[in-house]
Amino acid sequence: MISLIRSEIYKIRKQSKTLYALAAILIIEGFVIVSAYYQGTGIIDLLLANLKDSFEFKGNLLNGNLIIYLILNSLWFHIPLILMIIISGFLTSEYKDRTLETVLLQPVNKLNFILSKYIVSIGFTLLIVLLLAVSTFFVSYWIFGRGDLVVYLDGLNFFESDEAFYRLIYAFISGANSMIFFSVVSLTLAVILKDATKTWIVSAIFLICSNLLLKIDFQNEFLNELFFSKLTDSWQYFFYYKIPYSTIYFKNFMLFGYTLITMIIGIIIFKRRDIQV
Amino acid sequence: MILEARNISKSYDSLEVLKNVTIECHKGKIYGLIGANGAGKTTLFRILLGLIRADSGSIEINSQGIKPIGGIIEKPALYGYLSAYGNLKVFAQIQGLNLTKELYSQSMQQVGLSTKRTDVVKNYSLGMKQRLGLAIALLNSPDCIVLDEPFSGLDPMGIIALHELIKKLSSQNQITIIISSHIVNELTDLCDTLYVLNEGEIIKKGPTAELLNESVTTYKIVGNNLEMSEVLQNINAIFSNKSVFVSPETMSITEILQKLIEEGQEVTACIPQTDLKALFGGGKI
Repeated sequence: MISLIRSEIYKIRKQSKTLYALAAILIIEGFVIVSAYYQGTGIIDLLLANLKDSFEFKGNLLNGNLIIYLILNSLWFHIPLILMIIISGFLTSEYKDRTLETVLLQPVNKLNFILSKYIVSIGFTLLIVLLLAVSTFFVSYWIFGRGDLVVYLDGLNFFESDEAFYRLIYAFISGANSMIFFSVVSLTLAVILKDATKTWIVSAIFLICSNLLLKIDFQNEFLNELFFSKLTDSWQYFFYYKIPYSTIYFKNFMLFGYTLITMIIGIIIFKRRDIQV
Repeated sequence: MILEARNISKSYDSLEVLKNVTIECHKGKIYGLIGANGAGKTTLFRILLGLIRADSGSIEINSQGIKPIGGIIEKPALYGYLSAYGNLKVFAQIQGLNLTKELYSQSMQQVGLSTKRTDVVKNYSLGMKQRLGLAIALLNSPDCIVLDEPFSGLDPMGIIALHELIKKLSSQNQITIIISSHIVNELTDLCDTLYVLNEGEIIKKGPTAELLNESVTTYKIVGNNLEMSEVLQNINAIFSNKSVFVSPETMSITEILQKLIEEGQEVTACIPQTDLKALFGGGKI
């Protein structure tokens, strides 16, 4: 099992698409930073126009913490989409190039092989989120400095710089769990569909629908609390004035359960299926 | 016996791809599986290699090794973005082998590849990919190797080189080799035993020379001034340039050749022509 994981890591390291994934993450980050640099002040002025009549604001609200929060919001769509494309490619490329056949012509257990793919995909996801977080904190504080964070979430919430810092870190940690869910879904879709283009399309549709369903009230308490799409936003809850820890724990725990179920479904399908590419 | 597949059957929906196929292979021998396109050769090989499950039947491989059977299905599937070393490293690692420098050199030498090339495998010719695929199949020293259409797409020199390599592996390493092809000539000189697969059924099996002789109905005779021969004109031979095709009916080929010599004709070659329809049991070719 360890040797399978090591060989998967070796393959990922040697593939150019891994570099594309890393570049895509940094480009998104760069875009947010550049747009914030040129347009950020105007947007904040617009957002706080009414409040400025009644309150006096000290310091600069266009600071590193706000930029990190803006980049954090790429966890809604951009980052999971990139992850789903890259991670599904870990398996679809093996189908396309028929290397899956060559692998399974060796004395390799099918269960161990697919399990190693899932484990490495989860590791890769964590690495990408870590890279995003570290680079974001570093670049944002370096260019924009530190300061209080203003967030619009059911109203304007203000957090002091130190408090914003730990809320942002926790949000990245919680967001990583959501990213793992989407990554595992994409790998399971790759198991089912085999073809790269089909998997990308279905993954993108899944992600879009998941985001849309998050906003829809199902008029059913069970669905509103337990349906998977309602569980992927736990990282946003760190920006309520009072952090609802029990809700965050519950959402993360349930989402982890969905991740496990999705992974088990993928493993069962892969194990049962003939290898015919 | 190293490998025994008994009564293997496989269907896809209503299409019966294999019908009660039985093959038996002994250590160190080369077996040929010949059949037209769509006869079921690749499906049988996929089943032997454990890639797909048979609907019924049993496979027994008598090997104590970590890897009882290895092989290549259709064209070798390799990681194009890795070098030969990278490919061998990945495939060795997943089966618990540590690819040392010695093992790498030995694996490459075994298949006649140079260790000096460090570029990615996507730049390799098909022949080199076949050799590397074979090196991967040979990792962990399997007792049996299955090669599906290994000569497909190779140039004549590549075919000769692969022939030599297969013979060497069989004689020196005592590896049982099963090769499929739809081209008779590719297997004639190589295989000890031949299985003929037609529409999912083994319709003939036996020593290669014997089986091919049974299917020879025509001979190509090459020589000078053969068109002047009365013997050939009397047996309705078909003349084509300096050669002539004869289908012995009233007398044997030995008698025809004897008479040609008596007639004073200079015969330089007599080549048996395998009748594919007869070999494939009248099935499609």
